[in-house]
Amino acid sequence: MRRSILFVLMLLVLGVSSLVAQDLTLPMKNGSVKFAVIGDTGTGDKHQLAVAKQLAATRAKFPFEFVIMVGDNIYGGNSEKDYDKKFTLPYKPLLDAGIKFYAALGNHDDPSERYYKPFNMNGERYYTFKPANGVRFVALDSTYVDDKQLKWVDEQLGMSGSDWKIAFFHHPPYSSGETHGSDETLRTQLEPIFVKHGVNVVLTGHEHFYERIRPQKGIAYFITGSSAKLREGNITQTQLTAKGFDSGYTFMIVEISGDDMYYQTMTDTGKTVDSGTVHRVGKVEPTPNRTAQPVVATGGSNKKTPSKPLKQ
Amino acid sequence: MNVIRLLVVIGVACGLTTAPAAAQTAAPKPPAPKVSTATKEKAAEQNANPDAIVLADFQKRIDAYMAVHKDAKKDAPPLKETKNPGEIKAAQDALGVKIRAARTTAKQGDIMTPEIQNKFRRLMYPVVTSPAAQGTAGREVKKDIKEELKENTEERKEEGGKPVVLKVNATYPNDTPLPTTPPQVLMNLPKLPEQLEYRIIGKNLMIRDVEANIIVDFVPNAIQ
Repeated sequence: MRRSILFVLMLLVLGVSSLVAQDLTLPMKNGSVKFAVIGDTGTGDKHQLAVAKQLAATRAKFPFEFVIMVGDNIYGGNSEKDYDKKFTLPYKPLLDAGIKFYAALGNHDDPSERYYKPFNMNGERYYTFKPANGVRFVALDSTYVDDKQLKWVDEQLGMSGSDWKIAFFHHPPYSSGETHGSDETLRTQLEPIFVKHGVNVVLTGHEHFYERIRPQKGIAYFITGSSAKLREGNITQTQLTAKGFDSGYTFMIVEISGDDMYYQTMTDTGKTVDSGTVHRVGKVEPTPNRTAQPVVATGGSNKKTPSKPLKQ
Repeated sequence: MNVIRLLVVIGVACGLTTAPAAAQTAAPKPPAPKVSTATKEKAAEQNANPDAIVLADFQKRIDAYMAVHKDAKKDAPPLKETKNPGEIKAAQDALGVKIRAARTTAKQGDIMTPEIQNKFRRLMYPVVTSPAAQGTAGREVKKDIKEELKENTEERKEEGGKPVVLKVNATYPNDTPLPTTPPQVLMNLPKLPEQLEYRIIGKNLMIRDVEANIIVDFVPNAIQ
């Protein structure tokens, strides 16, 4: 009996310690914009639950105000039960705390998800919001990029002035994934608009791993598609990778303060796999091809450190 | 004799110059225009391009479908932002039922008539089929579509989803990923109202009603 109690106590201690094992690297500045990023989440399985649990535990230390979802929010069926199992229940502690989720549509999502109020899409496939002065997010539907959407994003970004401009959508324009890789046709369409208006950061998913891409034309690209699904060893050797992690489930926490965006990528066990800063270079005079300032990513380790050998 | 020699030399030269061209024709040729006599007569009567008549006919058929869609929507529960996903599904299903009831006899080719299908294949050919040179957008789009199809099939199998059976009025399976439509393809096709969208399923081009989640019509073998 005593042994059983001791065993249960040990399990509890281990469980709690894994939740508090987080070693936050973000500066937690007053007045900063704090948010989290998750991707390819909607499975309702134990991995989604583990990441969700760690995300909620992290908020106790890093009080983020909202969560960005980069698509594949509800895999499979889209009944009421599916929404409960794959969204409401896993993120209940955060939803109960009033945390807002902002979703983009992935290729596994029914576009009718845009009517689901907790996804805050205002009934639109693509939309924009400003969580605070000086920071603008643009959510896109990368499975259906038509003229209308391209015109819309061009106009919205054109009106964003000197805001931080963060675009989020499902398919990565740059990726070292063996399964998908870079979506070059999407890149052809979006990159010139992003460069023209000085988009600073692009957050995507689709690939079931974490990858920070070396800045491309002044834009920092992140892939966070392993918040419930994982393709182990799927990152191939390319020149694109600044940091890759394909052996665990991850999410990101992010803080924007002034011209710096601090990021930290953590696993479902609270281990930090990447962290650093995206720094906006000082103001650049607008030109016909660029209306705002470029960024450079600094900090973080510039190497791939997956815990298993990479495929060549 | 000199004339014969000259003809032989010309013949050999022509053979040499046409040999590479013949090798290139291994790729599918652009579809030849197929325009009905009625359309040709109408074009002559209106002094218009037959292709413009075909596209106007497509627009007319889409408008007729949208009249059905809008009519069905009047009595269906509204698709609006809600906290209850059951309401979204119910609205989608109810609209689908009403549209199906209003189009019970609808079949493949009602909107995408043979000459409209032909026009669509010709519109898509430069982007998805033509033997594009290395490094051009056409080649990339073709490669992407192929990869996308492969990925979608793999992901569908992973998820245990059903393969898409293209059938007019059928529901697009909820558990099957929606294939991405390359922007270059969308730019070459006539614009659709926001309630409808183009999707590439295998080699076929589907028109899907987004709000009712049903297959409106399709072009078989749009990609050759």
